[in-house]
Amino acid sequence: MSAELPSEKREKTPVGADLLIPGAAVAFTLYYFSTIIDSPWTAQVSAFFVGTILLALCFLLLVGITRRVARGEASLRFDPLISPAEVVPKRLALLGLTLGYIFFIDWLGFTATTFLFLMFGMTLLSGWQRDNKRLIVILSAVLSIGGYLLFVVAFERRFPEGPFEQFFQSLLSSFGGA
Amino acid sequence: MQEVDFGFFVSLFGHTLSFWWLIIPAIFLGLIVGAIPGFSAANTIIILLPLTLAMGEELGLIFMVALYCSSRMGAGIPAILVNIPGTAGAAATPLDGYPMTKQGRGPQALAISFVSSTFGGLLTTIVVLFVMPLIVQVVYYLHSVEMIVVMLFGISLIATIAARDTLKGLIAGFFGLMIGAIGADHVYATPRGTLGFLELYDGVPLIPALVGLFAITEAFLIIEGQSILTEKGKVLLRDARWAETFEGARDALKRWWHIVWTSLIGLVIGVVPGAGAAIASFVAYQQSRTFSKTPELYGTGHIEGLIAPESANNGVTSGTLVPLLVIGIPGGATAAIMLVVMQYHGTTVGPDLFIQQPLLAYGVFSAMAVTYLLMIVTVLPLARYMSRVTMISTIYIAPLIISFTLVGSFVPRAYVFDMYLALGFGVLGYIARRTGYHVAAILIGVILGPLLESYFLRALKMSQGDIMVIFSSKVGNVLWVCLALSLAIPYLKDLRRKRTAMRDALHRGEAAAKGGTEE
Repeated sequence: MSAELPSEKREKTPVGADLLIPGAAVAFTLYYFSTIIDSPWTAQVSAFFVGTILLALCFLLLVGITRRVARGEASLRFDPLISPAEVVPKRLALLGLTLGYIFFIDWLGFTATTFLFLMFGMTLLSGWQRDNKRLIVILSAVLSIGGYLLFVVAFERRFPEGPFEQFFQSLLSSFGGA
Repeated sequence: MQEVDFGFFVSLFGHTLSFWWLIIPAIFLGLIVGAIPGFSAANTIIILLPLTLAMGEELGLIFMVALYCSSRMGAGIPAILVNIPGTAGAAATPLDGYPMTKQGRGPQALAISFVSSTFGGLLTTIVVLFVMPLIVQVVYYLHSVEMIVVMLFGISLIATIAARDTLKGLIAGFFGLMIGAIGADHVYATPRGTLGFLELYDGVPLIPALVGLFAITEAFLIIEGQSILTEKGKVLLRDARWAETFEGARDALKRWWHIVWTSLIGLVIGVVPGAGAAIASFVAYQQSRTFSKTPELYGTGHIEGLIAPESANNGVTSGTLVPLLVIGIPGGATAAIMLVVMQYHGTTVGPDLFIQQPLLAYGVFSAMAVTYLLMIVTVLPLARYMSRVTMISTIYIAPLIISFTLVGSFVPRAYVFDMYLALGFGVLGYIARRTGYHVAAILIGVILGPLLESYFLRALKMSQGDIMVIFSSKVGNVLWVCLALSLAIPYLKDLRRKRTAMRDALHRGEAAAKGGTEE
């Protein structure tokens, strides 16, 4: 009797996510072309040169992927983007928190928003554990105030201002005035 | 008139060394600002301009040079430790530096980076001092047409280096070029590809792109584990002593020849205005891999893969100042600020500077040499302690990276829009990293996009709109052939390797079948 043949079922490589970047590239290139269609020739050449090469490269990739899918070597799944599955909710929550950080920084200023973001971000990533709560609050306060003192007070960088910055500035100016 | 001979250089070196009290603080300041995305050496020099101008020309230039050199090295520190390059010039450093950190070889990686940077920078500075007039001749051969090929060469090199799949690398690079072309037209001021955002009329700002593609992406990736280190890496780093730092320094010094030729690549590229450290480090990395006996080890924490970009991007520092001092064209932002300071003091740059004020002209390079020498003794001991930062849990690091780098992207233009842009690049970077499109290729594309367009415009204006102008130059045509070869050779090599492997497998199969029959 001949030896047992290896299993015919082979794991298919998920390649659906591989099409996202070329998809975005094609969409953006076509949109870009639409914005230069009325421009003079010299202003179009560079974009048409680069864009055409990009479209050709994306087409080559698409052909390669189609052939692999047709041969049964690959599937159009999006596994690389959503694995490991248990981290996905945490990652999405952090993305939402980051959007909130950018949204509120214009009103609350750098220090207060950074403090809140660091506190909620660290709490979220630590899985809402109670044992490191105090450390997280202290760390968030030290980092946000430290950041303010270093970047805004020492380096004089233009960071978004809010109630904390305005209070601190009036405090400094009142000391300066005295 | 002062005679420029060996004795002159010795006395100049001694004179510059007497300013150690100014150079050492500048080194530490440069290390800090280089390590923070958004706080480049150029920005810091601008902030400190009142101080620099008050210092006087000689002191001011020494201070700026020291800060410039050390910030170049500083940019490699977060690139190695947390996969976030401080500047685009360090974008090739994490390719092998970060895998070393993950393996718990952070102190060695930092020591290798420090030694390669200092010796690479020191060597090229000495070379520049002696062969400066010859280097400048190279610049005269590069016009708009040649620069177009150089830019495309840069992209293709990065595509073949950074991404495992060349096709994906090229897509990433050309997508970056398209993104880099966003903004109002240079000549006709027509907005292109701006999606209606006024904030993009000046083009895509580089800091948000850098922050998003590297820092934000990394923060969203590292939350998968409690630490960025592997289990073995944690143990190795916890037990790390001075021996690991010395081991790294020894590893780098053993490969002294590698430091020499990759830093010289940086020097030559640095001389070309606009090319800069980003291209130099990738070209050096690619050349290092091409001539390596173990190219498959690159990207896995290979020592030579770390030496090449670090030596090259420090080789650029001296190269950048050559066109500034000899023909008055600054090779980069920092060089441009130096030009402003020199003009403020009434100094006219150009070939005459080396005859009329040799102490000042050569003094700039002497300051560079002294800075690199002092960096060896001041920075190397930090490697052991700096690498400890990777022991901190990702619970604390990830939110910190996001908040501080996002605000860093706000700093240059004070637009909240730039923070959203950085987050957008972060999402793009996340998808790219997950699907094998290297983010460095996108970033280099974004950097080169506007440059490529401006060279295209110039070339077309000279040829009255004839596109065939891009094949009209002999030097350019040689570069086109080199470009084609650089794309074809890795592909052919890969094909040959696959065929050999297949033939070996067939032979083994036949031998096994023969053995089985005999049994």
